[in-house]
Amino acid sequence: MIAELFYRRQALILGTLSMIGLLVFWQIAVDGGLINPFFISTPSEVWTEFLAQFEDGQVGANVGATLYCFVWSMGLATVVGIVLGMLAGWFSDVEAALEPFIWFKYSAPTVAFYPLFVAWLGYGTPTIIAIAFLFALTPIYANTLSGIKNTDRDLARAARSFGAKPLDVFLQVALPGSVPVMMAGLRLGVGRALTGVVVAELFGANAGLGYAITYYGQLMQTTKMMVSIVIVILLGVILTQILSFLESKTDSWRVDSGR
Amino acid sequence: MRSAEMTAEPAVRQISFSFLRPSRPTLVGALAVLAFLVLWQVAPSMGWVNGRFTSRPTEVFFAAIDIFRNDNFLYHAQISLTEFVAGFALAVVVSIPLGVLLGTSKIARYLIDPPLMALYIAPTLVLLPIMVIWLGIDMAPKIAVVFLGAVFPIVLNTMAGMSEADPRFLRMARSFGATKFDIFTRVLVPGSLPALLTGIRLAVGRAVLGVVVGELFVSQAGIGYQLNLYGSAMRIDRLLVYALVVSAFGYTLTILVRSVENKVRDWRSK
Amino acid sequence: MAQIEIRDLGIDYRKPKSNEVFSAVDSVDLSIEKGEFVTIVGSSGCGKSTLLMAMAGLVNLSRGSIRIDGKEVTGPGRDRAVVFQEASLLPWRSVRGNVKFGLEMQRWSGGDLNERAMQMIRLVGLGRFSDYHPHQLSGGMRQRVNIARALAVDPDVLLMDEPFGALDAQTREIMGTELLRIWERHKKTALFVTHDIDEAIFLADKIVVMGRNPGHIKEVINVDLPRPRDEAVLDSEPFHDLRKRLRAHLAEDMSSMQLVKEVA
Repeated sequence: MIAELFYRRQALILGTLSMIGLLVFWQIAVDGGLINPFFISTPSEVWTEFLAQFEDGQVGANVGATLYCFVWSMGLATVVGIVLGMLAGWFSDVEAALEPFIWFKYSAPTVAFYPLFVAWLGYGTPTIIAIAFLFALTPIYANTLSGIKNTDRDLARAARSFGAKPLDVFLQVALPGSVPVMMAGLRLGVGRALTGVVVAELFGANAGLGYAITYYGQLMQTTKMMVSIVIVILLGVILTQILSFLESKTDSWRVDSGR
Repeated sequence: MRSAEMTAEPAVRQISFSFLRPSRPTLVGALAVLAFLVLWQVAPSMGWVNGRFTSRPTEVFFAAIDIFRNDNFLYHAQISLTEFVAGFALAVVVSIPLGVLLGTSKIARYLIDPPLMALYIAPTLVLLPIMVIWLGIDMAPKIAVVFLGAVFPIVLNTMAGMSEADPRFLRMARSFGATKFDIFTRVLVPGSLPALLTGIRLAVGRAVLGVVVGELFVSQAGIGYQLNLYGSAMRIDRLLVYALVVSAFGYTLTILVRSVENKVRDWRSK
Repeated sequence: MAQIEIRDLGIDYRKPKSNEVFSAVDSVDLSIEKGEFVTIVGSSGCGKSTLLMAMAGLVNLSRGSIRIDGKEVTGPGRDRAVVFQEASLLPWRSVRGNVKFGLEMQRWSGGDLNERAMQMIRLVGLGRFSDYHPHQLSGGMRQRVNIARALAVDPDVLLMDEPFGALDAQTREIMGTELLRIWERHKKTALFVTHDIDEAIFLADKIVVMGRNPGHIKEVINVDLPRPRDEAVLDSEPFHDLRKRLRAHLAEDMSSMQLVKEVA
C-alpha cells in the first residue's frame, strides 16, 4: 500500500525529500564548519531573520514595492504586447514594419539601455517599470502574433463560407483560437517582468527586494540578504505556477490537440 | 509534456540577395526603420524632444567611429568577451552531462527537478550580490552569473530532449537487439540534438544579459563599465554605441545558433 | 515440429493510474511452419499487434510460451526482425543509414555493412534514393525502407505490424505485390498483421482471424490460391469466397461492439 502510494506520488515525494535534504545539508555543512557562515548563512538563521524582517515590516514593504513595479510593468506589457501582437498578426504590413524593432529588442539585452532610462526617467520606480516592461514585452507580443497568424485556415474558411466578415473571423475564430498561445506568452512574460524589476532594483531603488539584496550585500550581511533572495525565488515560482494554472484552464477545451 | 520553452520568436526571414526586387515585407520593414531614423534625427531640431537625452543617429555614427579608434574599445570588449566565453563554456561543460543524467534517469530527475525548475524560473541574477561577496569584484562574479544564466536552459532542454525521445524509436531499436549503450548513442543523442541547440540559443541571451548586468553592477572595465560611465556622464551617443555593440553581438550569436538549429531540425519537418 | 509454436499464450496489461488488469490476449495456440506467409486479421483492439510484439520479444508474456525453432522467446533476437508501422525510421538518418541500423546492432562494419545495405535498398527499388532522408520520401517509399531494414539482418522470421496501414488504397496494393515479389525470393517465414481483408487474403498461405475481449483466435483459414500471385487473383472465385467468410467474422465483432456501446 505504501509502496503503491510511493509509486504514484514518486515525483512529489522525491522532490520534497530532495528539497529537505538540500536544506539539511546546507545547515549541517555550515554548522560542521565546512563552509564559512559569512558566505552563505544557514537555513535556520535565514528563517529567524525572515521572521524578524517580517515583524518589523521590511518584508511587507519590500515585497509590496517589488510587486507594485511588477504589476505596472506586467500590465503595460500585456496591453501593449497583445494589441501590437494582434495588429501584427492580422495585418502583415504591421508585422513587417515592427519586425526589425522586435528582432533588435529580442537580441539586445534591455539592461544595456538602463543608463539611458536613468537619464530619461531618473532613478527609481519609473525606470524600474520601464525596464521590466521591455523585459516582458517580447514573449507576449511574439506569442500573440503567432497565435493570430496561425489561425486554423480550415476554420476560417468554414466561417467565411457561412458569410462571416473578416472582423467576425477575427473575433470568433482567430482570437479565441490563440488564447492558449497568448497565455503561454504571459507565463513567460511574468518570469521576465520579475527579472526586470529585481535587476533594475539591484541598480537603483529605495525599496524593493532587489534593493534590499544590494543594500545588505554592500553591508556584507549575508543572512539579511538571503531572506530577500529566497523570497524572489519563491515569488518567481509562485507567479509562474499561477500563470501555468490559468494556461491549463484556457487550454482545457482543446481536447484533441491537447496533451 | 514540458518542452522547455514555448516561445514563438519572430521567424528569421531568408536572407535574399535580390536587392532589385525586394519583397513587400522587406520593403515595409526597411521603410519603418528609415522613418524611425529620420524622426529620431529631426525630432531634436524641431524641438519635440531634448536632444541631450536622445542624441541623433548622425551623432551616434560619429561617436562609433571615435570609439572604435580612441576609446580602448578592444580592451573593454576583450574583458566582456572573456567573461562571456568562460562562463558559457563552464555552463556547457556542466549542463550537458547533467542534462543527460537527468534525461536518462527518472529518479535523478525527480530528485533534482524542483530546485532546478525553481532556479530556471527565478531570476538567477539576484544571486549577483552574493557572488560579489564570494568572488570579489573582478571577472569571477560575472563569470559565475553568466554560468548561472546559461546553465539551466541547457540542462532543461537536454533533459527534455532525452526523456521525451519517441518511444517508437526505442521499440524499433530494441527489436534489433540494441543495447542500452546503442540506444543512447544512436537514438537518444541524435534525437535530442535540436533540443540541446534550443537550450544553447536561449542560454546565449541569458549569458549576454549576465555579462551586462554583472558589469553594470560592479566593475572596473568592460562594456558594461563603459555603459555605466557614459550613462552617468549623459553621453547618450556613446552609451548607444556600446549598447548597440552588445545587441549586435547577441543578435549575431543567436542567428548563428539558430541557423545550426534549423539545419539539424531540417529532417524533423513533418 | 513447426517452426513457431505458441502455447496457451496470455498477455495482461495493468491500466496506468489504476489497479485494473485487463487481458489483451488470452489462450492463444498457434503453429506456423517454416516458409509460411501468415496474416493476422481482426478489428481494432483484438490484440493482433500485441501478439506480434510478443513474438518479437518486445512484450512480456503473462502465461504460456512462444517457441521459435524450439527456443523459448525471452526477448528480441537475431532470428527475428520487425517491420513497423510508419514513423519508425530515424529521421536524422538517410535511407542508407536507416537500413544500416539493424546491421550495426549486429556489429557489421565497414565495406560489408555498406554493401549489404545498398543491396537491400536496391532490392526494394530505392537505389536512386539511398541518400534521401525519410521526410523527403512518400509513405510507400518509407515503408520500403522499413522492409529493407528488416530484411538486411537476414532474419528467419519476418514480423510485420500493419506496415501498410497508413498508406492509401492504391499504394497499398502496389506495396502488397512488391512485398510478395521480394518474399518469393527467399520464402522466409512471415507474419503480417493487418485489418484489411483483401490484403490479408492476397498475401497469405494462412489467415489467423482474431476476435476481441479478450483477444483470441477465432479461426485459422488456409489459403490455397496459386503463387506467384498478382492483382488478377483479387477477382477470382476463391478469393471472393474467402472475403465473404472474413467479412462475416469481422461483422460479428462489429455488432457486438455496437451492443457494448449501446449498453454503456
